[in-house]
Amino acid sequence: MAQNVTNVSQTEEVSSTRRVIAASSVGTLIEWYDFYIFGTLAKIISEQFFPKDNPTAALLATLATFAAGFVIRPFGALFFGRLGDLIGRKYTFLVTLVIMGGSTFAIGLVPGYKTIGFFAPAIVFILRLLQGLALGGEYGGAATYVAEHSPAGQRGFWTSFIQTTATLGLFLALGVILVVRQTLGVETFSDWGWRIPFILSSLLVGVSVFIRMRMSESPMFVKMKKEGKTSANPLAESFKKKDNLKMVLIALLGATAGQGVVWYTGQFYALSFLQNACNVEFVQSNVIISIALLIGTPFFIVFGALSDKIGRKYIMMAGMFIAVISYKPIYQAMYDEAALKTKVEMVDKTTVETKEAVKGTDTVTTKITKKSYEDGTTYKETVKLTVPLDPVKKAELAAADKLKPETKKEVTLSQDSYYKMIGFVLIQVIFVTMVYGPIAAFLVEIFPTRIRYTSMSLPYHIGNGVFGGLVPLISTRLVEATRPAPGLPPADPLAGLMYPILIASVSFVIGMLYISNKTNNMDVE
Amino acid sequence: MSLIKKLFGIVWSLMGVGIIPLVIMQAMKEIAAKPSEENWIFWSIVIVVLMPIISFSLITFGVFALKGEYDVIA
Repeated sequence: MAQNVTNVSQTEEVSSTRRVIAASSVGTLIEWYDFYIFGTLAKIISEQFFPKDNPTAALLATLATFAAGFVIRPFGALFFGRLGDLIGRKYTFLVTLVIMGGSTFAIGLVPGYKTIGFFAPAIVFILRLLQGLALGGEYGGAATYVAEHSPAGQRGFWTSFIQTTATLGLFLALGVILVVRQTLGVETFSDWGWRIPFILSSLLVGVSVFIRMRMSESPMFVKMKKEGKTSANPLAESFKKKDNLKMVLIALLGATAGQGVVWYTGQFYALSFLQNACNVEFVQSNVIISIALLIGTPFFIVFGALSDKIGRKYIMMAGMFIAVISYKPIYQAMYDEAALKTKVEMVDKTTVETKEAVKGTDTVTTKITKKSYEDGTTYKETVKLTVPLDPVKKAELAAADKLKPETKKEVTLSQDSYYKMIGFVLIQVIFVTMVYGPIAAFLVEIFPTRIRYTSMSLPYHIGNGVFGGLVPLISTRLVEATRPAPGLPPADPLAGLMYPILIASVSFVIGMLYISNKTNNMDVE
Repeated sequence: MSLIKKLFGIVWSLMGVGIIPLVIMQAMKEIAAKPSEENWIFWSIVIVVLMPIISFSLITFGVFALKGEYDVIA
């Protein structure tokens, strides 16, 4: 009889933990989805809201893309982290979800620059900042909430579900964008169809808010509050007390900085490299990343669970180390796989088509060259020259050396190369799962309950948002520095890897030297 | 192990200090060579956001390590 009661109680506990995980993960996934659709659609958003001929709007475009990604997220971590430690986890991460969903929905409704002028980029900029703030508060809350519900010894396993959400959010964003784009066609999508993924968010957020409203507060927080042990000033306690500050620093330098660059390299830089260095066509490159993300995602849970058995440190450090030593060979292989000079061209199948049309005040000449290769690869080169009809304007542009054609290169890989590319990206996603799977459990365990939300959120968002978020910007810059002249290919297309390799190397050494492999019981002190 | 941690503390502190002139000099060199808006934005982000975080955290971490604050964590 007693045995039956114990079994029923254990089953109920597991079922309750599963509900907590599901409710938390869905909300966090939606927040990541909301955050990534802006980044993925940055080019279209820039055309709609930030016209190139207005320098202030162009500046706002750059700031909107980057500022919310890294500067604002740590502020969100501080603001909402403090709230979470003062009033509770549940209400705080409910608020972040509503802010994120509301601002995403609103972006989808803002009229373009052509309709309301400068108000358009200004409103979008503010909404993007709100997105960054909300994301800064969400992750720490979700990870803390789940960890505080999880039984000791299984925290790595249960929190790893939260860890899957960032990758699944990116996958969902790519998937929704691809489906809407393919359904409506490129032109309609660029015109108004891009708004659909933003508006769709309101539906997802509505469902998630409903689920989260029914959840109860974290048991550890409730106990602490009953005993009157909550912190009066979580910010001061987190960063002014030496014992806690040193843990914040070790979390940042020994774990989250390295994790951040590995995460962004394996998912975002890989996509950028496929599209810009390998010239792989838009849909194919996105599908490659999406498939690799989908296959790799279960490994977050595998490594999260494994970290409960062998400790968090060695899994995270192994991920960083293997990434550091293998990035160059992997990216070289990706580059070689798409390189046309190693393929045999079927010259008789080459076609060249030239079109000339008047568009508004310009004459647009388009030359499209299509080539096929023996292995099944195809190549399309579109050279577009826009010349003003007005001879004075034309002469001015020619004098300023601005009458240059735009060239777009698109490689569609053969089946064989396509599968190999998925493999190369998948290996990088596995590195991501190694460094990222156990990190939520690692972070929640090194900080005390009274200041956990605040303390863990800041190093996470600086590591992931600043160190990681800067990967595309710095890596692109490093590659550009090797370009001998505009229009020529870069001398070293792999130069961009220097930044993630350097940061991950320093993080690895610090992590190996100073981080403990022990896990603690995370009790209320 | 404790001695290695302390010695590395000096390395982290020096890295944190050394990065400041290195980054500023590189920024000045590149902006002087090509004073474009793109260059200004890039280096502003690096100098205002990234560099202070790296410097402050490495210096503070290095000092803590040198003082033996991390000996007990192992």
